[in-house]
Amino acid sequence: MLLKLGSMLAVVAAWFGLSLLLPATVLPGPWQTLNVLLENIADGQVHQHLLATLGRVLGGLALAMAVGVPVGIIMGLNRFAEKTLDVWVMVALTVPSLCYAILAFIWIGLNETAAIVAIGLTSAPSITINLWEGVKNIDTRLFKMARVFNASRWVIVRRVLFPQVLPYIMASLRFGLGIVWKITVLVELLGRPDGVGFQLFYWYQLADMAQVLAWTLLFTLVMLFIELVILQRLERRLFAWRPEVRL
Amino acid sequence: MEADNGIRVEGLIKEFPGQRVLDGLNLTVGNGEFVCLLGPSGCGKSTLLNILSGLDSDYRGSVHFGGRPMVPGGKPPATIGYLFQEPRLLPWLSAERNVDFALENSRVPRSRWGDIKDRYFALTGLQPFRDYYPHELSGGMAQRLSLVRALAIEPDVLFMDEPFSGLDELTARRLRVDLLDIWRETGKTILFITHNSYEATFLGDRVVVLSQGGIHNQISVDVPRPRDYDDAALFQVGKTVSATFIEAAEAAERARARGTRSSH
Repeated sequence: MLLKLGSMLAVVAAWFGLSLLLPATVLPGPWQTLNVLLENIADGQVHQHLLATLGRVLGGLALAMAVGVPVGIIMGLNRFAEKTLDVWVMVALTVPSLCYAILAFIWIGLNETAAIVAIGLTSAPSITINLWEGVKNIDTRLFKMARVFNASRWVIVRRVLFPQVLPYIMASLRFGLGIVWKITVLVELLGRPDGVGFQLFYWYQLADMAQVLAWTLLFTLVMLFIELVILQRLERRLFAWRPEVRL
Repeated sequence: MEADNGIRVEGLIKEFPGQRVLDGLNLTVGNGEFVCLLGPSGCGKSTLLNILSGLDSDYRGSVHFGGRPMVPGGKPPATIGYLFQEPRLLPWLSAERNVDFALENSRVPRSRWGDIKDRYFALTGLQPFRDYYPHELSGGMAQRLSLVRALAIEPDVLFMDEPFSGLDELTARRLRVDLLDIWRETGKTILFITHNSYEATFLGDRVVVLSQGGIHNQISVDVPRPRDYDDAALFQVGKTVSATFIEAAEAAERARARGTRSSH
C-alpha cells in the first residue's frame, strides 16, 4: 500500500517537473489540471457526461460478457467447439475497434444501441479468450467425482463447474472493464453527442490541454475506484474459501 | 434377512481401439468381504472400477450387485461409495458441506444426515475440523474426509482406487488401521485397488492379482484380525503376494513384447 502511494506521488512529481519545462498549452501542471476539473464539477456538467459514459460502459460490458463468457466456456470444455471457433475469435480480435464502431453506426444508426453494440462486440473476443484459457485449467476430475456420487448433469454444472469458472468470470470482468472503457471513449468521439469521449474530442479540437487532461484524470479516477473499491472487495468476498495469497 | 451386497462379475470384456483391456474377467466379492485388486499399470483395474460404478457402459459381460443385474447405461443397482487416489474435494466448500454435497445426491433422508455425519466425523477423528476448508486440511485429513463422504451416503459397496498411494507411509499406515476399524464396525463390502503388495495383504481377506485383463492368481490372507503390521505370518503372505505380483507384471510385459513384435 505504501509502495503504491509512493509510486503515485513520484508520478505526480514527475508530471509537475515536466510541466515546468514545457509550455502550459502542451503540458499543464497537476495543480492547474485539478483546478479545471474542480471548475467543471462546480459547473454541474460533469455528472451528465460521466453518467452517459458509465451507462455505455456498463451496457457494453454486459453485452460483452453475455456473448464472451458462454463462448469462452464452451470452447474451454469442448474440443470440437474450440477447433471450430478459435479462428473466428482471432479474426474478431484482429478487427480494429474503429471498424466495429463505424459498422455499428452505419448499420444501426447514430444511436445508443449502436454504441453499446459496438462496445460489446469489440470487447467480447478478449473476454472469450480470457475465459477459454481459464476454463482449460479447471479440475475435470471433480466431474467424475460428482458423477460417481450420482450428481445430475444440472447439479454438476451448477455446483461443480460454475464455482470453478466464477474466478475466471470475475477476472474477465475486471479485464473487460479495462478494455470497454477505452472503446467507449472512442465510440463516443465517433458518434455520440455527450460523454467523456465527446468532451475529450471537443477540447482536443479547441487544443485545450488542461481540459483534455482534466477529463482524462476524472475518468481514470472513477475507473480506479470501481476497480479497487468495488470489484476487488466483491472478489475477496466471493473467494473467501481460497488459500490466501499474499503479494 | 441381511441384504446381500456382494458383487459378481462374469465374462467382462472391455476393448479400446486396438487393445483388449478386460478379457473375460470373472470376479466375485462376497457380502462384507474386503477384496484387494493388485496389478501392474494397464492391467484394467481402473477400467473395471469405471464399469462397476456406472461411468463406462460400453462393455460386454454381466455385472450383478447382490443378485441384481446392472443394465449397461443405467445406474448400478447398488449405492456406491468411492475413494479416489486424490481426495477430490470441492475446495470452495467446508468439510461438512463437502459431505452434504454427496448426501444431497443420495437417497439418505435429510432427517438422518445429522446423525450420520456425527458418527463418521467422530469415527475418523475429524469432528473438530467440520468447518475447515480442504486447503486447511493435511493430505491424510483430506483423505479421511473423502472417506467420510463415501461412507455418509450409506453405500452398499465401497470402491477404493489407490486411496493411500499419495500419502506418506506413516499417514498411510494410520489410515489403513482406521479403515479396518471402520470396516469392522460397518461391515461394508470393499473393493480396494492398489499396487502395493503389503498394503493389499494387510488389508484384504483376499488379494486378487490381475494381469492382461484377467485374474492371474488369487491369494487368501488367512491371518486373523486385528492384524499387526509387523506380524511374521502376515509378512510371509505378503512375500507370496509380492512374488505373484511380479510374476504377473513380467507375464504382462512378455505379452506386450510379443504383441509389438507381431504387429511389426
